[in-house]
Amino acid sequence: MGTGAPIATSTGTPRMTMTTDLLTLAQWLSPAYPVGAFAYSHGLEEAISAGTVSDAQSLSDWVTTVLQHGSGWNDALLLAAAFHAAMPDEVDATARALAASKERLQETDQQGAAFAATTSEVWGIDLPDLTYPVAVGRAASLMRLPLPETSALYLQAFASTLVSVGVRLIPLGQTAGARITQRAAALCAGIASDTQSGDLDRLTSTAFLADIGSMRHETLYSRTFRT
Amino acid sequence: MPRLPHSSMTPISIVTKDSPVTKHQTFDALAAQPRAVGAVALSMGAGGLKHLRQQGAMKALFPRVDEAPQVVLVNSAGGATGGDRFSVDITAQAGARLTVTTQAAERAYRAQPGETAVIRNHLSVADSARLDWLPQEMLLYDRSALDRRLSVDLAPSAQLVLAETLVFGRAAMGETVREIRIADRIEIRRDGAPLFLDQTRFQGDLETHMAQPFTANGAGAMSLVLVAAPWAAAQIEPIRAILPASAGVSLIRDDLLALRILAEDSFALRQTLVPILQRLSGTLPKPWKI
Repeated sequence: MGTGAPIATSTGTPRMTMTTDLLTLAQWLSPAYPVGAFAYSHGLEEAISAGTVSDAQSLSDWVTTVLQHGSGWNDALLLAAAFHAAMPDEVDATARALAASKERLQETDQQGAAFAATTSEVWGIDLPDLTYPVAVGRAASLMRLPLPETSALYLQAFASTLVSVGVRLIPLGQTAGARITQRAAALCAGIASDTQSGDLDRLTSTAFLADIGSMRHETLYSRTFRT
Repeated sequence: MPRLPHSSMTPISIVTKDSPVTKHQTFDALAAQPRAVGAVALSMGAGGLKHLRQQGAMKALFPRVDEAPQVVLVNSAGGATGGDRFSVDITAQAGARLTVTTQAAERAYRAQPGETAVIRNHLSVADSARLDWLPQEMLLYDRSALDRRLSVDLAPSAQLVLAETLVFGRAAMGETVREIRIADRIEIRRDGAPLFLDQTRFQGDLETHMAQPFTANGAGAMSLVLVAAPWAAAQIEPIRAILPASAGVSLIRDDLLALRILAEDSFALRQTLVPILQRLSGTLPKPWKI
């Protein structure tokens, strides 16, 4: 793990709690958790189709830009804001207003609804339909899970989903893909650390061509991914 | 006192009434210059102008036109630098229709360290009213510091067309934008609830940042166009048909269309933007003619 409180503490009991907490987070943010993350490319499919992403380096650049200057940063802020908020409604409305395209709204809405449905059923918490980062932040807050780890794992799951889109479509070898995700780990940890306040005045996106790509994906002739 | 032209690292020359001879000053010595303040507040009813208040360096002109009323905003300070404060507050009352533009491109000039130009624009559109907010480009110069907010409140049946353009590249500006501080927020609410939010915050070397392949790939100008109206859906296909590869359009919600265009400079950008604005807005105000 990157940042935040150390997992091991001087007393015995919290350590046990933290281990269970981490397993909960690992389950929520694993590709096996039924939010259908594999169906969404965030517009990356368009960049690959247009040829602007065509190898390991350009895939790494695309993923890094989106993490650092686009949805990665903004989602981490929204997740933290939802974590801190007494009620998630206002943060959720902001998250929806922030969607740069129809498919971006669809992506966060559908994954969030799927996450909320499974998580509220299995853990017995009251989690309405929310956008994806807001649903995760709210669930972590209700379950008293640690925020830094929640944010970092959320970002890594996002990066890993995008890398797997590239591995499949470019195509790239699994090892090359794993290397990109590994290199993004420090970035995920850094963004998680920087966004803990959940201060929505700090929302910003300058990943303009990634946003334009997600708009252009709507009319892509042959589509493997929903977004 | 004349407004300062944009940047140069060397001491700049200023001619004032009292000292006709060119006199060299350092930027530090300029910190005490008076700040420009300007404000326009107006309210347009279905039958015409209902209220107008103008203050300082901002004025509103009302050209005589056959179509819906037009408002042309004029900043007599010629631009915004650190410490300046400008605001525009426009209301379209029930049934009103108006188009707002600026007489010239707005300029964010070099600011003193720690000082920021503050621009606060607010639009309010009542039921069955329509407002087209079509200011010309905002030019960001090297070492400028800008904090700008545009907030729009729409009633349930209000209609809005909005276009905001930033120009930041060497090709467009004749200079390299190396160091900049910008916080630019566009926020639209419908019936009090957030409908659209776009926020750009950046500090540092903008040109290098915008040169990256998936930020702007070296583009020097960018427009964001929004249509919040029941007829937005009908516009997407015709607009999409004329977009270059560096632009995209999306119907984010049934009544919300968003369009983003990147181009090498503002001239190239206008080749795409102006026909689209003509389509969305009808006859464009004179300052927009190319």
